Amino acid sequence: MLIEVFGPGCAKCQTLEKHAKEAVEKSGGNHQVVKVSDYAAMAARGILSTPALAVDGHLKSQGKVISSDEILSLLKA
Amino acid sequence: MSEIPCPTCASPTQPETGPSPGFWRKGGWLLLALPLWFLVYHFLEPFAEWITASIFKLGLKSHLGSSVTFFFYDTPKVLMLLTLVVLVVTFLQTFVSPERTRAILAKRAGAWGNFLASLLGIITPFCSCSAVPLFIGFVKMGVPLGVTFSYLVSAPTVNEVALLMLFGMFGWKIALLYAATGVAISFFAGLVIGKLGMESSLEPWVLEVTFNPQTIEEAKQSFSGRLDVAVQGVRDIVGKVWPYMLAGIAAGAVIHGYIPESLLVKVMGKGVWWNVPLAVLIGLPLYSNAAGMLPIVQALIGKGAALGTVLAFMMAVISLSPPETIILRKVLKPRLIAVFVGVVTIGILVVGFLFNAIL
Repeated sequence: MLIEVFGPGCAKCQTLEKHAKEAVEKSGGNHQVVKVSDYAAMAARGILSTPALAVDGHLKSQGKVISSDEILSLLKA
Repeated sequence: MSEIPCPTCASPTQPETGPSPGFWRKGGWLLLALPLWFLVYHFLEPFAEWITASIFKLGLKSHLGSSVTFFFYDTPKVLMLLTLVVLVVTFLQTFVSPERTRAILAKRAGAWGNFLASLLGIITPFCSCSAVPLFIGFVKMGVPLGVTFSYLVSAPTVNEVALLMLFGMFGWKIALLYAATGVAISFFAGLVIGKLGMESSLEPWVLEVTFNPQTIEEAKQSFSGRLDVAVQGVRDIVGKVWPYMLAGIAAGAVIHGYIPESLLVKVMGKGVWWNVPLAVLIGLPLYSNAAGMLPIVQALIGKGAALGTVLAFMMAVISLSPPETIILRKVLKPRLIAVFVGVVTIGILVVGFLFNAIL
């Protein structure tokens, strides 16, 4: 699956990216984590507050840092 | 990519451990901790005096003694207040989100929209890192430019944590004064920017970009789940702001113990007209968060500084921050940045003068 982490590069966005990578490791599956920091791209995806996270193109969370366990459950869903 | 400094904002990090069972373990225990909090808070002042007199062997009236008492009284006091306030605020914020705010404000033109945006800015969580996506999302979904600015000014200016801490430290009158003036500044700043019709001063890419709104189906949160988020918020925010807070308390302690009242009244007193613009001039480039500012505010007011001057200083420090202004430059042309900074500065000046004149 494709995990996208959206954020301009603040501390919280980096934490979320870290959690996403941890989740991929825990799952053991073949998932890819991509960081998106372009504002126009964020607008196109309808993101209002950062950090945000999307799985396979579907926005799953925004405005907060979710844990690696939560990201893991998103990957399984 | 370089990290964007963002000390004023912190969204609660969700707990790393999986969902733990039971109401009491998931934050319900806080309901029991609350009476204990009030009991300890009540005994802080005698405790600080005891430390100064018995452990440091200092006279309570001496310069050093009163500085030391201030420090040992204010450190646990501000820390305890901050913890309680952040807990309450993050708990309440689990009920609001920028998406909801935007839905309320969309298509709401006119002064009523500005007023509503200024009020919503008080409670909505806001982080300067999110300023650009939020700005685009608001404008693109039909929130008028002036209304968006009312929100953008109000969100950092009327800080929900500062508001509740002012209430805890100075009582409801000063807290209300702070909220009312902050809302008034945001209202007029947005109204002026709206009236000037500055849509042409947005960066062209903002007008061209498409915004496709998405909704996230979020699971309904339980009461204890919300409390859990609040506890995480406390850990996150208090863990981040305590250095600012300690620095503020140290500065406050020096003011409290060493700066003579007569000098402070001469410089920051009511009768001196130029201290308001000076306070704003010094405060604008400074950047701290509310928890760091309040001990300084407390020490200054205790020494006879004029309320308007101190309020203007505090607002100048916490409202317009250089990092946020730099980030907004990505969407606003310099002309609109200048109007934004100018209008807010004038608003803060007016508030300072007004309070010094009428109180």
